[in-house]
Amino acid sequence: MRLLAVGLSHRTASVELRESVDFGRAGLDRALHALAARGISPETVVLSTCNRAEVYALGDSDAAADAITRFFCDYHGLELARLSEHLYCHRGVDAARHLFRVAAGLDSLVVGEPQILGQVKSAYAAANDLHFTGTVTHRLFHAAFAVGKRVRNETGLAEGAVSVSYAAIELARKIFGGLSGLSVLILGAGEMAKLTGVHLRAQRVREITIASRTLASAETLARQLEGRAVPWHDLRAALAAADIVVTATGAAEPVLTRAAVDEAMRSRRNRPLFVIDIALPRDVEAAVGDLEQVFLYHMDDLQSIVSENLARRSTELASAEAIVSEEVTRFASWLQAREIVPTIVALRQRFESIRQAELQRLEPKLGGLTPEARAKVDEVTRLLVEKLLLTPTEQLKTVGDDSLVVVYAEALHRLFTLTPPANAVEKPADRDEPLAPGARRR
Amino acid sequence: MHLVPLVCYAAAAAAYLTHFAWRDPRVGRLATAILGGGVLAHTFLIGMQTVHVGHAPLVGTTAAISAFVWLLGLSYLYIELTTDERAMGVFVAPLMVVLDLIPALDPIASPRPPLLQSSLFTLHIVSMLLAYASFALACVLGVTYVLLFNEIKAKHLGFFYARLPSLQVLDGMNARVVSIGWLCLTIGIAVGGLWATQIQSSSDPRAQAMSIADPKILVALICWLVYAFALVARRAIGWSGRRAAWLSALAFVIVLLNFVPIGYFLTKSHNF
Repeated sequence: MRLLAVGLSHRTASVELRESVDFGRAGLDRALHALAARGISPETVVLSTCNRAEVYALGDSDAAADAITRFFCDYHGLELARLSEHLYCHRGVDAARHLFRVAAGLDSLVVGEPQILGQVKSAYAAANDLHFTGTVTHRLFHAAFAVGKRVRNETGLAEGAVSVSYAAIELARKIFGGLSGLSVLILGAGEMAKLTGVHLRAQRVREITIASRTLASAETLARQLEGRAVPWHDLRAALAAADIVVTATGAAEPVLTRAAVDEAMRSRRNRPLFVIDIALPRDVEAAVGDLEQVFLYHMDDLQSIVSENLARRSTELASAEAIVSEEVTRFASWLQAREIVPTIVALRQRFESIRQAELQRLEPKLGGLTPEARAKVDEVTRLLVEKLLLTPTEQLKTVGDDSLVVVYAEALHRLFTLTPPANAVEKPADRDEPLAPGARRR
Repeated sequence: MHLVPLVCYAAAAAAYLTHFAWRDPRVGRLATAILGGGVLAHTFLIGMQTVHVGHAPLVGTTAAISAFVWLLGLSYLYIELTTDERAMGVFVAPLMVVLDLIPALDPIASPRPPLLQSSLFTLHIVSMLLAYASFALACVLGVTYVLLFNEIKAKHLGFFYARLPSLQVLDGMNARVVSIGWLCLTIGIAVGGLWATQIQSSSDPRAQAMSIADPKILVALICWLVYAFALVARRAIGWSGRRAAWLSALAFVIVLLNFVPIGYFLTKSHNF
């Protein structure tokens, strides 16, 4: 049984296609049951976010991967031809590497975004609740969580805002602590003003006030944002009451002058004021930024913060990838030890049965020996078998390539006509756990 | 034994610095643990001295510095554990190390002269030291506020932006510790004044020197005025934020001057 990861993401498919294969958070259970009904794999996890839809499973051959591909088509009612070129299939250690990169945010649209780790966790939890997970997926996903956590703690990959609106919100948090008690004044009622308002509303600010040269348009926007509109000539009072001012008017001349803000600051006793100017040409005089306790940020400033953060993230990529590789190696050696163990057990059982048969055959000749000599014969033959098997066993455990493991196992089964030991196949967990640390030590 | 707290504080300072630079939460917890261990050892040390000399080791500037460092450690740990903010440790721990050098390397437990055998004396010292510890924290909060403020104002978000709590939190904590410190200072000075009038009849020259002309007393009163101004200005004329931060940082310099150099070399009334 090899690990498989079949799916598509923003790297391979358009938004429309991604939308049409979205399992949805609530639909995970149904998808898992549908997969189980097809009997493709004993262990299955479905990961579905707005940027990816993936199935993690165990399968013996490409038939399993094809079956999962067909499942994608049937489940979402899509034609195979439409989907197949967008689907990727990772096998064995590559599947693990893929999941680790996903969990670390390395495969995300916005590299390092933190939500993905939570989504991977809930995908695993959904499968685990329905008992669709097993030894391999359990180990795989917990290793992925560890990768995500390590990348977050040990690298700066997830640091700093990478969108203008989030950069502004992060700044507001650094100034005011939280946004929940703040009152926001928006100047202008255009599309940009609306977008910013929606963002701020989502942050649960206390109050949104909108001022525009035409009161009617301010009132329209105020209704949409559950805010309040004030006439333009009341700007002075509104300014004094605000913590955050967003300016997005189409005015050709600055609408906020240093004198006006200075006056407002007096009546507010120097409570900090965060002014975000997203208008072009600028709405706020640059000199406003010189005032004590006034923080003035223009669109360009936010943009340059974002690009700085993006640059910083890209320098952290290498260390994040190094963590992924380290964990992949660790997982691979566990997986390999696990895959080769049934073969080793079968080989040893085969040799032991030959030894027993030979002893049985020689029983008449050995009958005359003293019990001590009889024990010696037993001991010598046992040691001989051990010695013969020592090197092959060690070699098998250190095979580097997981496809080679399959080849070796196949060869050994043929050469020695091995039958897979029943207990090793059905209950690998009993055997592979103690082996794992040994495998890691190498 | 006197070196144990110092070594712990130095190790904690190193750990806080590492934590501040690399932000590994495990190192942060380690720093807190080491600092806690240091304060515990310090508590034990002060307890031993109390048993040894029969009174709380508060006599003389060296003993007072030791007690101050201990109180600063305690109050910092209290703030850290209640706010879950570790960024301040990188400033507080080194200050503790520097000040603790004196009592750790020159541990003299001065005998208590008859003059000081008064519960008013103990109350005076303890409130003054609590005030100083609060002002030390206010200073650290002020310095960090200014560092963060400058980064945000200059639109160059970098090192401190990623590590410090928000300006609002720093300013709020600053206001709180300055209030607590000023209250303790008021009590300390009032009790000191009351006690000074009681010992006027003593023939001890130090009792005779207890007047407003003595540098230690004069500077303490100046401190009281400066912090009183900081509190009033915050409420009355909006001196919060950066101005309050600067004020609490600079005012602590006066406190420190009064505590160490004036305490050792200039005062004629407080040289026990």
